[in-house]
Amino acid sequence: MTPAAPSTSRVRPPDTTIVTGAGGWLGRALLDHLSNERSVRALVTTAADAAAIGTPAEVSANGVTAIVGDVRRPDGLAELFDGATGEVDVIHAAGVIHPGRVDEFEEVNARGTANVMAAALAHGARRVVHVSSNSPFGTNTDRLDTFRNDEPYHPYAGYGRSKMRAELAVHDAVRGGLNAVIVRPPWFYGPFQPPRQTTFFKLVRTGRFPVIGDGRQRRSMVYVGNLVQGVLAAELTATAPGRAWWIADAEPYEVAEIVATVGRALVAEGFDVAPNRVRLPAIAARLAERADLALQRTGRYVQQLHVLGEMGTTIACDISVARDELGYDPQVALEEGMRRSIRWCLDQGLEL
Amino acid sequence: MTGVRLQADVLVVGSGAGGAPTAALAAEGGHDVVVLEEGPMVRQGEVVPFSLAQMDRQYRAGGVTPALGLPTITYTEGCCAGGGTEINSGLYRRPPEEVLARWGLDGDDVAELYAICDEVEKELSVQTVPGAQIPGSELLRRGAAALGWQHDESPRWMDYSAGPDARQGRRRSMTETYLPRATAAGARLLTGHRVDRLILDGRRAVRAELSTADGQRGTIDFRDVFVCGGAIQTPAMLQRSGLRRAIGRSLAVHPTVKLTARFTDAVNVPDDVPVHQVKEFAPDLSFGGSASNPGLVALALSDSWGRFGEAVTDWRRMAVYYAAITSQGRGRVLALPGLRDPLVTYRLTRRDKELLGQGLARLALLLLEAGATAVYPAYRGAPIVRTPADLATLRATFSAGRASVMTVHLCSTVPFGAGHDAPADTLGLLRATTNVRVNDASLLPDAPGVNPQASVMAVAIRNVRRYLESVR
Repeated sequence: MTPAAPSTSRVRPPDTTIVTGAGGWLGRALLDHLSNERSVRALVTTAADAAAIGTPAEVSANGVTAIVGDVRRPDGLAELFDGATGEVDVIHAAGVIHPGRVDEFEEVNARGTANVMAAALAHGARRVVHVSSNSPFGTNTDRLDTFRNDEPYHPYAGYGRSKMRAELAVHDAVRGGLNAVIVRPPWFYGPFQPPRQTTFFKLVRTGRFPVIGDGRQRRSMVYVGNLVQGVLAAELTATAPGRAWWIADAEPYEVAEIVATVGRALVAEGFDVAPNRVRLPAIAARLAERADLALQRTGRYVQQLHVLGEMGTTIACDISVARDELGYDPQVALEEGMRRSIRWCLDQGLEL
Repeated sequence: MTGVRLQADVLVVGSGAGGAPTAALAAEGGHDVVVLEEGPMVRQGEVVPFSLAQMDRQYRAGGVTPALGLPTITYTEGCCAGGGTEINSGLYRRPPEEVLARWGLDGDDVAELYAICDEVEKELSVQTVPGAQIPGSELLRRGAAALGWQHDESPRWMDYSAGPDARQGRRRSMTETYLPRATAAGARLLTGHRVDRLILDGRRAVRAELSTADGQRGTIDFRDVFVCGGAIQTPAMLQRSGLRRAIGRSLAVHPTVKLTARFTDAVNVPDDVPVHQVKEFAPDLSFGGSASNPGLVALALSDSWGRFGEAVTDWRRMAVYYAAITSQGRGRVLALPGLRDPLVTYRLTRRDKELLGQGLARLALLLLEAGATAVYPAYRGAPIVRTPADLATLRATFSAGRASVMTVHLCSTVPFGAGHDAPADTLGLLRATTNVRVNDASLLPDAPGVNPQASVMAVAIRNVRRYLESVR
């Protein structure tokens, strides 16, 4: 007989929390949550990023110390770890998703992760959370299929392969004695979004978002605030090393529903929204996918092709194991999350 | 024409899961019944289950028949007294309610069919294993449990009076149950008798032409006929009789792909199959265990024999498993003039092919979780899977065209339905005739997503009872 799942027990936060990729979308959301609460050492790639997170390089403010470095070079991590004192947890959120060159996937995502794991192991980190993706698992074969917590790898394109290799590097480190776990968020939305994401709102507002086929394909998405909650639950819940969990909103959404909900969110925030009128046949997404894969083989990457290629497919995941093992309980769903995202963009002076 | 001359009230063509209960109930109802079975009578215990000797004696064409198409799908059919029930795994699943609803069956029909299932389950002694499972079954259960995937033990029609363990069961196949009931009630069972065609007088069939295993020809005259030759032979025989409208055009199957898993302990049981099934992804995808005698292990390794062949010497530590899908494709059965066997074609859809690859990878993941040290997928160019990273190679290199896709569970070549486009009415009467009834797996409107024997038997028993009421 299986005993009833014990209620999840949390450990106390560490003395120092290292966050890589701190200048990125998730990194900034994490710092927003952790600043004034914890002592954080934040890895950023440039001094401009350090300024963007509100902490000039090498200066501490709100408990956050920004360090300029590069996960691609092992010595680029020395300062980040050497200055960490007491019990140390690491949240490895650095990664590249829309690179200039395809090579960056491998260098940043795969090798960078191996470097961070090696540094964490050498430094005797207490717990490491690696932020992975749905991409190592590809797409669902059928729009009614949902990824279970454990699935065979089937990476999608260069990004997926590099994120798979990153997970394999984490598992190698776990075998070497590191207490590391993995969270797998799908497509995020919410505050701290990079400027490129405003295109999404613009397309919906002007009725030009390309809906593929009947729009019934399903997509899991995660509000960045839910993801922050999931990452911290993975960090602070005692589990066996090597576990991995989907962290997403409660349920997947249908693509047509996503477009309609974003439209409603824009209207609620005072925008005029044109009725969506761009319906593309399924073949358009297939052609875009082929073109994307062919270009990636030559080392080039075109974001629009990549995103369009993915729009025709179902990527749906089941978060029930994260609920059971981590007590993860996403509070924000699409409409509210999109409204917060729109308000954040307006506060930043971004034009939608 | 000289030779055999026979006469009967009711002719039953075929003696499997459809024909045997049809014959028993008709004979018990007082009708003069003749059952013509193309294959031989082989008593249980005469051949080892799942052996090559059994394939030679009890299967059509020595066990493997190809359906043309890309990829080629091989299928097996029983050809003996008792039909498929003598050679299958004996697993039993009632048709799920949503499947019956899809078939247009409503509340009263469903209650009636489930009441018949109760009866069949008693007659065939349907139960789970009271004692020890075979290791291959236990490993499947363990892998599914580790992943949190829904799984259960399929009941089987088995008698465990000799002992409680899986290997001590005695099969309650048709030669042990409904066929003895039929003959006890006066039915005549003639094996080695093949019905070549029916002769119709207008819309009424009056006679069948037959040929025997020892080369004789003959005829049988009858009042009514039940055609129960299975989803390939039934439509082929009807087509040879000139009954072609909508017949043989909608073959449904559960395509399967296989792999062999190698463990550190001896797990192989040559003469039995696992009873656990993984239903997490049902009905689209189901996993289970296959027969795994050394010959079948070799067969499952044969697609990449150059690299996999050495493993066969370790067959005692190996077991074969399958991933089955519910297919969106359909196939055709076409009787060709002058040929004894029909041409069978089947086309998988793009989604079917994808699902086979995903199913095989998920099954391989499960077996790694169960403790397999190596997994050998059955397709040309497959990697030996030892780690999670190898699963990515499996998905990247799999294509249905390079796989040994095979199937049992052939259905739906003469589907019943209330609409006039269905060749048979809801009780199996061919709409083009007044007295030709189909009563086997051909009738099921589609593949039920579970082992279909229970569905076949329940529908057949209901239909023959309605027939008996109508001629009383």
